Formats: sequence, structure tokens, C-alpha cells
Amino acid sequence: MNDMTMTEEERPHVIRHAKGKRPQFYDTPGLDAAMSMIMVLANEMCVLRDRLDSAERVAKGSGLDLAAGIEALELDQDALEEREQRRQDFLQRLFYLQLKDADEAAKAQTEAVYNDTIADIAQQ
Amino acid sequence: MLNTFQQSAHSALPTATADEASRQEFAKSFKGFIQSGLLPGLTPVYQTRVSRAFEKANGRAPADRRDIRAGMVDDLYFQHYAAANRIAQELLWESVNGSVDRQLPQLIEKAKELSASTPAKLLIPEGFEPPRYVTALDIHCMPGGYCSEVCADDISVGALYDRGVYLYAMGYTGPDNDDMGRSVVNYLKRKMPDFKPRRILDMGCTVGHSTLPYKELFPEAEVWGIDVGGPVVRYAHARAAAMGQEVNFAQMNAENTSFPDGHFDLVVSHILLHETSGKAMPKIFQEAFRVLAPGGMMVHADLPPFDLMDPFTQFILDNETWYNNEPFWGAMRDMDQVALAEKAGFDRAEVRFDTAPMAVMEFAAAAAGYSQEASEHVAERDFTAGEFAPGGGWEVLIAHKPEEKALAA
Repeated sequence: MNDMTMTEEERPHVIRHAKGKRPQFYDTPGLDAAMSMIMVLANEMCVLRDRLDSAERVAKGSGLDLAAGIEALELDQDALEEREQRRQDFLQRLFYLQLKDADEAAKAQTEAVYNDTIADIAQQ
Repeated sequence: MLNTFQQSAHSALPTATADEASRQEFAKSFKGFIQSGLLPGLTPVYQTRVSRAFEKANGRAPADRRDIRAGMVDDLYFQHYAAANRIAQELLWESVNGSVDRQLPQLIEKAKELSASTPAKLLIPEGFEPPRYVTALDIHCMPGGYCSEVCADDISVGALYDRGVYLYAMGYTGPDNDDMGRSVVNYLKRKMPDFKPRRILDMGCTVGHSTLPYKELFPEAEVWGIDVGGPVVRYAHARAAAMGQEVNFAQMNAENTSFPDGHFDLVVSHILLHETSGKAMPKIFQEAFRVLAPGGMMVHADLPPFDLMDPFTQFILDNETWYNNEPFWGAMRDMDQVALAEKAGFDRAEVRFDTAPMAVMEFAAAAAGYSQEASEHVAERDFTAGEFAPGGGWEVLIAHKPEEKALAA
């Protein structure tokens, strides 16, 4: 056992889930899962921020003061536009469901219409 | 006070990539935030809206921790608090588990190598059956619990526990996770300077965090750590070797060890009792009495009984029972431990509860991330339910076995 020549699939792996039913804390279905996902994302965001911090510190150790350069950086018109575009794109993706809801309202796409369509098509 | 405490490395401990280390730090920070940022809000939430709503609905004030819980579980603030606690626990284990998994074959080999390098004994009996109270649920949601083995010579849950418990304790138990053992030894040395135990038994030692200080501070003594988990004692043996301590470990049940009568001068346990059961706890006290030599001491460092606190504090502490796979956490605190010790054979006059002050401020200041100021802050807090290692020190149950002369009289 524990042969170093084993492949990644063959070798032993740790157990990933704790034995025991997980309690639910919220009344709203799905909110427990959503909160967990939000915190996992927050975790990864902190990992990225730490990594950027490390990049700045490593660069500084090699004589390149990235952090000071970042603070002193003056954005030209192209950069301003690029960043604003990126932020707006991000917000659009973040509010995808709300925007979808508005789009459905604008196009009168209701649940009833959707169900009627399924029934209709089944009979065509 | 910013918590920048860092665990000391040793050669059995899993290492972390930069990203794994950041994930783990986040889990520790999140726990710290819940304790300092969210926990305090439970008091006003209870006092203002929850107790009033309960009174309105039931025509009486909440009487005990069960009433308080019944009211609190419907409150959104409590739901966020309890969910955050649970998620932090899950993130914590996952952040370490992924790291352990990445390097598991190397960790197993390293542990074998370390174990082979020490004359200290390691006993893993064939066909040992761990008790149901540790296998029915994975205690404190640690995947795999203390006993699961994914291959021969497995130490994975030992490695997971070593790193995970450091994060769980947010470093409050010092760079080597050993504050409980160290605090009990300090206590004994101060209260009983003439007490020189020749053999010491640590029951439910897991990876030996609290066991090693006994060897360090009583270097002449023969020290044994026992636990029902095979992988954790295997890891404990390797870890002790990595830290240069000759400490023996065995997979044994504290209810029924294979040591002879009167073998030890000191029998201790640290955060063991609340992970046993209503039937096991009296047997553990009896077994401690049996293996103790006349004049020996039994010391259990665990959590204070409920009868010492108000119902709201009880309610907060009991959340562990409901949300963290700690089935005996609440019930253990309702047990009359002094009576149990008396039933096991100790003289009631020789059994007492006391507080062993945290040793963390005395030794930590030299370690990475442990400023003197921050270590003192941890050691000198007031008792606050729901905080890890509630301030004031560790609660210890101490029992003294009579000398033979007294027995004969």
C-alpha cells in the first residue's frame, strides 16, 4: 500500500464528508446552500487578494515596488473605459436573474404561458 | 486585537500551498469574526425580540435552555449566526482536507519514517473495535472522525485533526496546540510542588497535543497517550518523534485499558469526556481509579457543568450539540461529575472542580504571530459562552486517590 507509483485515482484519498445529517438553519428552501456558496466564494476572493498581496511583496523583494506603483498609477482614458466596461459587465452577470425577470415581464413570458406552450407543443 | 497566531511546523504536519494557507487563514478569520462580531448580538436579539415573542406566545417567560432555543431558532439573526458557525466549520475542515489529500502518500511515508526513528512504543492491536459514541457521527463535523482508515498505516484524520484543531482553536491553545496539557501541568506544579509522577496516562489523547507537555515538564516520567482512533495514535507517535519527545501511544478504550492496577501516578484527560457517552463516562472514572496508584491524581480538563451557568449561557453552549455533531456535549454538562468520581472509589472530600489558568501567555510570545499582548488578551478574558476556550482558564475536575494507609484504616 501507499505505493508512490500509484496513479492519482488509485492512491488512497481522504474522506470529504462528515457523517451525520446536516441541519438546515433557514426557513427559505435553498438558502442554506446559497449561504454556503457565498462563503466559499468569499473564501476564494480572500485567497485571490492574498495572492495579489504576495505578488506585490515578492516583486518588492526583487526591487519592483508594485504596490507603490499601483497607488501612483494614473489611469488614462483607455484604461478608465476598459475598467468601467468590466465593472458594468460584471454587474450585469451578477444581476442576471433580476434582469431576466425584467425581460420576461417586458415580453409577457409568464409561467402560465410557458406551461401552455409545453401542452401545445405536445399536441402538435 | 488582531489574531495573527501561527501554528509551529513539525515534520509530520501537512504543509500548505500559498492558496491552501490562505483558505485556512480565512477559515480561522471567519471563526474569529463570528465569535467577536456575531456572537455578541445574540444577547440583545434574545432580550429584546425573542424572549418577548416567546412570552406573548406562551404566556410565560422562557424557563430553561430548551425554551430559549425554541424561540431563537425562528429568529433570522440566530439563523445567520448558527449557519455561519456551521459553514465556518465546514470551510475549516475542507480547507485542510484538500491539502492533506494532495500530499497523503507523502504524509503516510513521513509518519512511518518518524515512528521508526523513536524507541517510544506504539501499540495498535488487531481487530480493535472503537465504541459507537465516536463512530455514529463524525464528531465536530470532521470528515472521517477519529477512526476511519482509507488505507493501511493511514494517518489522514490525524493530520487533518492536527491542523484543523489549530484553526478551530484560532491558535488560542498555542503554536503546538498544547495549552490544555501545559496548563494542567502548570497547575499541578504550582499546587503540588512535591508531586513527581513516575507514570502518566493521557486518556483520549488524539494526536497527543496535550500529552507532550507532561513529558516535557516531567521528563523522568513514562508517559502514555491512548485513544480509540488508530490513525490518530499512529500520527501522535510520529508527531512526538518529530518534536523530539519520547512518548508512548496505544489504541485503547479509556473505559477498559490493558494497564495493570495501580500502574500510574497521574491519569489525565483533555476535552475527552464530552465526546464519550452517559454509560462510558462512569466507566472511564472507574478505570482511572483502577489504574491509579495509591496517592495518585486523576485530572479531567473539560467544559464546566451547566449548573454553574444561567440558561442563556447554557443555550449558547448547547448549540454545539445541535449543529456540530457533538451528541454528548449538552448531556455531559448535566452529569454530576463529583458523584461519578465518588462512585468510582474516590473520597468525596478529595474531589473538586478548579480552574487551571491558561498557560498560553507564558510560552507563546516567542512563537510566530504570538505577540505578548495578544497572548495575554487570550489568557485574561472574562468567561464568555460560545467563545473558544472561554476566558478564565480551563475547568478541571481533580480527584486524589487515597494513600494505602488511609485505605487500610
